[in-house]
Amino acid sequence: MKTLATALGLTGLDSRSKTQRTDAQFFEWRVVGIALCVFVGYYLGAKIGFALTLRPHPVSVLWPPNSILLAALLLTPVRVWWVILLAAFPAHLAAQLQSNVPPAMILCWFISNSCEALIGAGCVRFLIDRPVRFDRLGNVGIFIFFAAFLGPFLSSFVDAAFVAINHFGGDSYWRVWRIRFTSNILAALTLVPLIVTWVADGIAWLWKIRQARFLEAALLLIALLSVNTIVFYKLGPSADSALLCLPVPFLIWAAVRFGSRGASAAICTLTFLAIWSAGHGYGPFSTRSAEENALSIQMFLIVMSVPLLLLAAVIEERGKGAMTLREREDRISLAAESANLVFWSINFERKESWMSDKGRAIFNFGPDEPLSRELFLSRVHPEDRDAVDEAIEHARAESQTFEIEYRLLRPDGDIRWLISRGRYVRNDRGGIRELIGVAIDITAQVEADLQLGLQREEMARMSRVSSMGELTASLAHELNQPLTAIASNAAAGRRLLAQGSPDPKMFKELLADVATDARRAGDIIHGIHHFVRKGEGTRCRVNLNEIVREVLRLLHSDLLGRGTAVETELAPNLPSVDADPVQLQQVLLNLLMNSLEAMNDTSAASRRVVISTTCQPNSSVAVSVRDYGSGLPADDADKVFTHFYSTKPNGMGMGLTIVRSIVEAHGGKLRAENVDEGARFFFTLPVTRKSETREVA
Amino acid sequence: MVDDDQSVRRGLGRLFKSAGYAAETFASAEDYLAREIFEGPICLVLDVRMPGLNGLGLQETLEKRGACEQIVFITGHGDVSTATQAMKSGAIDFLTKPFDDVELIEAVKLAFERAKEQLHKRGERREARGRIEKLTPREFEVLRFVIMGLLNKQIAAELHTAEKTIKVHRGRVMQKLRVTSVPDLVRVSQRAGVSPAHNPHKTKIN
Repeated sequence: MKTLATALGLTGLDSRSKTQRTDAQFFEWRVVGIALCVFVGYYLGAKIGFALTLRPHPVSVLWPPNSILLAALLLTPVRVWWVILLAAFPAHLAAQLQSNVPPAMILCWFISNSCEALIGAGCVRFLIDRPVRFDRLGNVGIFIFFAAFLGPFLSSFVDAAFVAINHFGGDSYWRVWRIRFTSNILAALTLVPLIVTWVADGIAWLWKIRQARFLEAALLLIALLSVNTIVFYKLGPSADSALLCLPVPFLIWAAVRFGSRGASAAICTLTFLAIWSAGHGYGPFSTRSAEENALSIQMFLIVMSVPLLLLAAVIEERGKGAMTLREREDRISLAAESANLVFWSINFERKESWMSDKGRAIFNFGPDEPLSRELFLSRVHPEDRDAVDEAIEHARAESQTFEIEYRLLRPDGDIRWLISRGRYVRNDRGGIRELIGVAIDITAQVEADLQLGLQREEMARMSRVSSMGELTASLAHELNQPLTAIASNAAAGRRLLAQGSPDPKMFKELLADVATDARRAGDIIHGIHHFVRKGEGTRCRVNLNEIVREVLRLLHSDLLGRGTAVETELAPNLPSVDADPVQLQQVLLNLLMNSLEAMNDTSAASRRVVISTTCQPNSSVAVSVRDYGSGLPADDADKVFTHFYSTKPNGMGMGLTIVRSIVEAHGGKLRAENVDEGARFFFTLPVTRKSETREVA
Repeated sequence: MVDDDQSVRRGLGRLFKSAGYAAETFASAEDYLAREIFEGPICLVLDVRMPGLNGLGLQETLEKRGACEQIVFITGHGDVSTATQAMKSGAIDFLTKPFDDVELIEAVKLAFERAKEQLHKRGERREARGRIEKLTPREFEVLRFVIMGLLNKQIAAELHTAEKTIKVHRGRVMQKLRVTSVPDLVRVSQRAGVSPAHNPHKTKIN
């Protein structure tokens, strides 16, 4: 088989079909190569055709040149067809001039042969827009009808007409037509699939297959040759005609195991041996006249090859489908594994359940343990169990999809975070048929988030320490107030005692004041310590108005020193938010300090900051800090939130970045905008949901 | 005492009371300014940092009002420039909280001394002015030439009048100012802030 392809000189074409070439490339050496192959192929085909003639019958049983031309057209783009026809013409002349055929007849035959190839290739090309292969039932059907049947059918009229016009030979019009028709059908059915499949990718395939398969192919070839030899040489003319079916199992073997390549090669082997043996007077097709023998062989081979080609196509199509399915499955399972996805389903009607292996490992289910909602819930962390059960129940009742985030408590105490999504599938009668779903293990993600949170917390703390550093003077002032009061009271007490006229009531008051002021000093120190210590990031319900007041207390002295008035417009009955109070203090402190800095160049009389809290309609609360300062950069107000952006000569440019990251970590949004005579910073935080009990670690 | 912090007000109030002073406290500079003016000696203990008008601002306002309060500043966090400004404007002391009570009481004592002194001076001036106000414009003119050291003859030449007339004026001036000698006349004029007349003909003085 391989030798045939190489002998035809078509190996140069084998990679052509794999990549779409541009016209420019085609009109280079490759075109010359194709032309040469077609020339050689056509010429050799004609020689083989002559050799396969049953003497004294003048017409070949199988006429290959037309098929070679057809195969060449099928394998090449329409744009180069003229080159192929041009190359075939000299080969045609060279082959035909060796017989005593008048030149006019030679020319006519070339025309009819070209017609046949063009009709077949044109129709096939028109109907199949991809490279023609014999791996699909539809393609093979189109090929058999249009290229193998319609082409010879139509062109044979032309051919017979030419013969009649030229008064060549003594045969009647219809006889010529019939002989040429059957001969060309056989050639098209046997040779075209062989050439197309093997030239397109058969040779490359041969190099790729495993040794075992190569041996199988060799074994099949030997078996086929032996059986064919027995059938066509050893059986006498009187043998049972049913024995003609002996090669069929081997042909099917070729089609099943080696697809269209195997089938076409096997058919060719059969065809060649059948005609060759008949030509030499052997076998079942040597008993009658040459013409009758030829017709019998042709009929036999056509009948054998058509189903075989179709069978091979079905086999290949199915193989490809199975492979595609397997590839898709592999891809999905790879995706599932790499995304830590778990697939599962519970069919209530069939009482069946299934979960991917990885899922069973994660949930700690046995390999064949039947799944149920109860079993699933037993693995969920006790704190999350009720919420998960509620979500599933809700999905069942409302026929909705549920999505839940929860923790799994594994027997070793290990906790894994998962997100499950699933839905109930109902049957035609509206009853529940199946529960299907996926789960994603997001433990790594949660841990990374946690890590990130810790880093952010550390950054925030550094920023708080730095803020405190800037406020040292003011805080010292703040602390000095109660200390002064204490010292003054103590001195007064001492003096009163020295004067020997202590009024007990006044002394009581004095000591009470000392105690109050000592506590006040302690509170200030506690506040500072609380603000700069390493936070645990614990969130609780926080009233933002309270935060505003606390921060103003902290900044009290600084504001006095700057001569800045702070006005507050705090919304009454502000809903609480779920937040880390220290971090919120930091947010407000940084925003306030930022506003104060921005007003360094503002005249003392108009230095003013307005802090307001409002309740937003989308169940969030908003805090706005508005100043009458220099405003934000006009080109890009958001620039102030980028790292290392600072207008202060010794500023780090981290303050507002941290503010934003804190607000966003709380599920809020922070914006900045220029307003009349200043700037406004505005952040929102979601209101605590009433039922929310989840504590974020 | 003016301080925005209630604790400080109460503590210091007690301290002053124990030291024998009648202390009055105000929460802000504005509160103090709203009070009717006290004529006696006043020591103002003043916080620097306050909402509204701050300590230095109050000092400035009082100076413009021409009052004679003596100011002792107290501050939670003293910086050099504020202290310098306060002292330049005539503050008695500038103390940083928390301060020693003795230090404060000393400063207050000094402030009262100064206040009394100033009040005394002011009283004298007022009295001298009262006498001078009784002079007629002509007599006042003559006074200014007299304290300049001019003789009657010279004054008469300056005013283009007779020496005799000047003598009569001079006698009336002495009478109205209730002095008997020229040095006494000069002292009273100084207290009242009357400056000698400008002399356009210097050569004639000697």
